Amino acid sequence: MNDMRLTERGVETKQIKMKARGVEVFYGDTHAIKSVDVDIEDHTVTAFIGPSGCGKSTFLRCLNRMNDTIDICRVTGDIHLDGEDIYDPRIDPVQLRAKVGMVFQKPNPFPKSIYDNVAYGPKIHGLARTKAELDEIVEKSLRRAAIWNEVKDRLDAPGTGLSGGQQQRLCIARAVATGPEVLLMDEPCSALDPIATAQVEELIDELRQSYSVVIVTHSMQQAARVSQKTAFFHLGTLVEFGETSKIFTNPEDPRTESYITGRIG
Amino acid sequence: MAHSEHIVASFDRDLEGIQAQIMRMGGLVEDAIAKATQALELRDVELAREVRANDAAIDALEEQVNDEAARIIAQRQPIASDLRTVLTVFRVSTNLERIGDYAKNIAKRTETIIDQPPVNGTGASLRRMARQVELMLKDALDAYIQRDAALAADVRARDIDVDQMYSALFREYLTFMMEDPRNITTCMHLHFMAKNIERMGDHVTSIAEQVIYLVTGDMPDEDRPKQDRTPHDAGVTK
Repeated sequence: MNDMRLTERGVETKQIKMKARGVEVFYGDTHAIKSVDVDIEDHTVTAFIGPSGCGKSTFLRCLNRMNDTIDICRVTGDIHLDGEDIYDPRIDPVQLRAKVGMVFQKPNPFPKSIYDNVAYGPKIHGLARTKAELDEIVEKSLRRAAIWNEVKDRLDAPGTGLSGGQQQRLCIARAVATGPEVLLMDEPCSALDPIATAQVEELIDELRQSYSVVIVTHSMQQAARVSQKTAFFHLGTLVEFGETSKIFTNPEDPRTESYITGRIG
Repeated sequence: MAHSEHIVASFDRDLEGIQAQIMRMGGLVEDAIAKATQALELRDVELAREVRANDAAIDALEEQVNDEAARIIAQRQPIASDLRTVLTVFRVSTNLERIGDYAKNIAKRTETIIDQPPVNGTGASLRRMARQVELMLKDALDAYIQRDAALAADVRARDIDVDQMYSALFREYLTFMMEDPRNITTCMHLHFMAKNIERMGDHVTSIAEQVIYLVTGDMPDEDRPKQDRTPHDAGVTK
């Protein structure tokens, strides 16, 4: 009688996978992120929403140090993955990004075969000793990304020849291939049609079984559909962070309400 | 037909979840109707108390199912048949909750009149009437789950029988009260119970109409036969 959630959406563990405290980001003189604290739970889809320029993508990119690649960008504060400071100088960002994978807005497969797109990461990280092992990783990753059945007969075909939705799932397979623990997705569906979007959303729900997923999306509806936790960013601050069901039925902060109901943006 | 699965499987689980809750609520309400009138007929105070106590579970389910339906609207943005499914869940749960309240009221009145001398055979006729409503409810819920508009239309048409039973009881109680003023207390309560059951029938009819709306997208026309003549009944037996 007490199961308020009727469906089996319950989160199995409430373990904190990533913890951010007092994170500040500057682009030159611009203060892009102001003292953000967030806990990213394991086996949970966390959505970052907010108007353009609110800092949600910037913050997402802090989580696997993608901002390191931008010269004028400076990040302060603490971000921990499983208790380990990811900005510790001893941490190799390339290794970090194998653990915290990323999928981008526009599908960006390498101009290589479908097989090589997925095999590339495991190869450079030395995750497979033999061709058979590599084959296995490729198949498993493509299955995980729910695209195996569509491409298994043409693994040698170029990845760029797939449809947009398939390319995006190929990129997800590529991100999954290095055995990540967290998947960051920056607007993964904004270049896709509604059906391909639904397929990726279903995939995100499945990926949650194995990973912690963080998604940035312009679509509040998508955040509502796919996530269990939602963070609302506005002008570089984290305004509200909580259960998605709560945020979308009864948000606490009036700014959140105004944004999700289409009154500010 | 929009019966195949959604690409996003968890959406299907959400929709199935709220409908399963409706069926659970329906089961509890059917049980309440049967037990309330059984308690009356058998003059079983314990059973009447049980019906009163169980109403809290029905109310809790209604709240739960409405919260969940609101969450689904907020998070899934249902449209077309999915939207109708969620909208009917709201309305059907309200109907069921009201029926539960009427059953609870019957149980309360049963406890009140238990010490009064029984009025001949009235418990049995109320139970027959309630049985009719219970069967209609069962069919309405079956029609709901099976998306069977024809069965729902049939349920809707059967409400006339309940109305007729109510009219007959109305006259019967009037006669008892005129015969012997000592019957008035009991008969007033019995009359309210009969009215409660008649109202249950109306709520079941409303559920059946929701099924028709769910399946066809249109509410049925308001041309249903009605047989409650008591508003025009002066009470004088000819």
